[in-house]
Amino acid sequence: MALPFCGGALALEGPGGMANGKATLAELLKVQKTVQDMLPGVKPAVVNIQLRGGTASGVIVSSDGLIMTAAHVSEEPGKDLRIYLADGKMVRAVSLGLDKTTDAALAKMKDQSHPWPYVPILRDTAQVVAGQWCVALGHPGGLDPKRGLVLRVGKVVKQTANSLQSDCVLMGGDSGGPLLNLRGEVIGIHSQIWQARDQNMHVSMAPFLRSWDELKGSQVIKVWGTGSGGYLGAATELDAQGKVAVLEVITGSPAEKGGLKVGDFIEAVNGTQMLDQDKFAEAIRSRAAGDLITLKVQRSNATRTLEVKLGARPKEDES
Amino acid sequence: MQIRTLLLLAATAGIALGDIDPRGPLPETHRTNGSATLSAVDAVKANVLRSTATLVDEKGGHLIATTWVSDDGYFLAPASAIVKPEKDKLRLPEGRSFPFKVVHRAPDLDLLLGKVSDLPKTQAVNWTTSRSLNMGQWLCTSKGGGQELRIGVISALRRQIPGMGAALGIRMDEDQSGKGKGVKIMGVAADSPAESAGLKINDVIVSLAGKTVARFQEVHDIVSRRQPGEEIEVHYRRKDKDESCTVRLASRTKVLSNWDGEDFANGGISIRTDNFPEILQHDIPLGPEDMGSPLLDLNGRAVGINISRVDRVTTFALPMETFWTKVQQWIAEDRKPPQPVVVEEVKKAVRVVPQPVKSVK
Repeated sequence: MALPFCGGALALEGPGGMANGKATLAELLKVQKTVQDMLPGVKPAVVNIQLRGGTASGVIVSSDGLIMTAAHVSEEPGKDLRIYLADGKMVRAVSLGLDKTTDAALAKMKDQSHPWPYVPILRDTAQVVAGQWCVALGHPGGLDPKRGLVLRVGKVVKQTANSLQSDCVLMGGDSGGPLLNLRGEVIGIHSQIWQARDQNMHVSMAPFLRSWDELKGSQVIKVWGTGSGGYLGAATELDAQGKVAVLEVITGSPAEKGGLKVGDFIEAVNGTQMLDQDKFAEAIRSRAAGDLITLKVQRSNATRTLEVKLGARPKEDES
Repeated sequence: MQIRTLLLLAATAGIALGDIDPRGPLPETHRTNGSATLSAVDAVKANVLRSTATLVDEKGGHLIATTWVSDDGYFLAPASAIVKPEKDKLRLPEGRSFPFKVVHRAPDLDLLLGKVSDLPKTQAVNWTTSRSLNMGQWLCTSKGGGQELRIGVISALRRQIPGMGAALGIRMDEDQSGKGKGVKIMGVAADSPAESAGLKINDVIVSLAGKTVARFQEVHDIVSRRQPGEEIEVHYRRKDKDESCTVRLASRTKVLSNWDGEDFANGGISIRTDNFPEILQHDIPLGPEDMGSPLLDLNGRAVGINISRVDRVTTFALPMETFWTKVQQWIAEDRKPPQPVVVEEVKKAVRVVPQPVKSVK
């Protein structure tokens, strides 16, 4: 069987790359330099959040003071949050919307008189791959001015539609803090741990991007019928020749708007070959609503390229 | 709707086609401390592992790791982990065990300097300054008493860790009457010294370290004056029977923050987690039994000694600057102990030296 992801999949963003499977000292040192160069710019945007009965973390992601954190931290919109900045100063914020199905939440600084230091977020969530280096920051155990922020350097272990798993070890108090790629972009928000040291779960950017307006608008998302990511609106099957065939296209769906037709064979998504259904489904789900994707399809023995803007899954299933 | 379901069902399977699926799960070999990643530090591995050994109890149970600091058998280990040094032995990674003598104990640093005499040559670590380390710098250490290598980074600011004294890990009846009936235990903390020693709710503590107690404050005073790692004799009554046990005290900070076992530390934490003059904090995945191993840079030069596993994300190491000058002194004194005769001569000489002081003005 061909290996559809060899080469490309391991071309890790930022430093790194273990095409032959083994890391080198040079790679580790490059990671070290990148992390150390990145830290001074990122630290001012990582905050400690205190509210009645708890301490957690968060990260400022816009100059007007939007803060990403975890839904189990803020629990409801409109809550007063005490925010401790990297320099020890305390400021006030208020919780906005939250997605209880994925643990994504937003908050906003009350003081709008000056721009806030912030870190950008990674919008193309499909860029995150297992094996890439990543950095976790937060306040495990709570605020400790003499200790400061706690850094962990590790690797992305797994990505699902709404979450990332890494081997950056987290514990209580880290919740809401950022997982960053080596470009210093937020790729995840610390959410929960399982017992093993490499079972650290982060909310990916997908749920934030998918529900950005709802979260900013202080809405509470309780049911995402499916908890899925980007939505295309086409059903496919793997035919006898091993091709991903389009069975049905939903009326009014992003697939229809983008020109996908029943009987098309999906060959590639954004240049990545699609050799089975699972890969195709994940390629769609791991992207966010609003993402533009390029589909390479085969139709009547000719190859076509379609641009499709993914939508949000219709919400008729919501209770 | 059927169409949507199709897509969803398909998506739950997830089959890895390539060497590494970009969605994961990442094979363990390629994780941060997997074999493929660790091959980056192959060049220093053998030396790092050879500089480490294990301290075992009389039954061969792993107590703590040790670091060779000379080529003639001197080693360092965390003092609070070593209670019966006369019965313990030092075991090499290849399996042989040797008795040792305690050369010096430094409670302020929680270090013990020991010496094994029966070994022809030991692989001492080479020290380098820890002052140049910054957050994000890679470090390595040995795990399992010289069996494996692990990497991680400096993860927080270097600092002093104040001491909060020792604790048993019990909640006590706060009855102040002090009628001489002892002090009743109302709760026992998870993974605490009290739990390890077998103390239970409703046991009544009659005496501690030989002193009769009647109020909870008396228990508190006796315990808080002691250091983590110290042993304390407890006499108690359980169901009208007199019993006793020995409790090994642990750091108060940690016992109290882990009352219900919420620490999730994977393998437990160290007995002593505070009261250090200065520490380096790193994120290398270790257990409390790995303390005592050397902390090194990726060139294999030692910058400190792992001293305390604190929680799931935290390990403390003593930077070499806190102990190395002293350790060299202790070794020198042990190699050439001051002769009694010499001491006498010095005293006589001192007596002769004072002369009437003349004013210079």
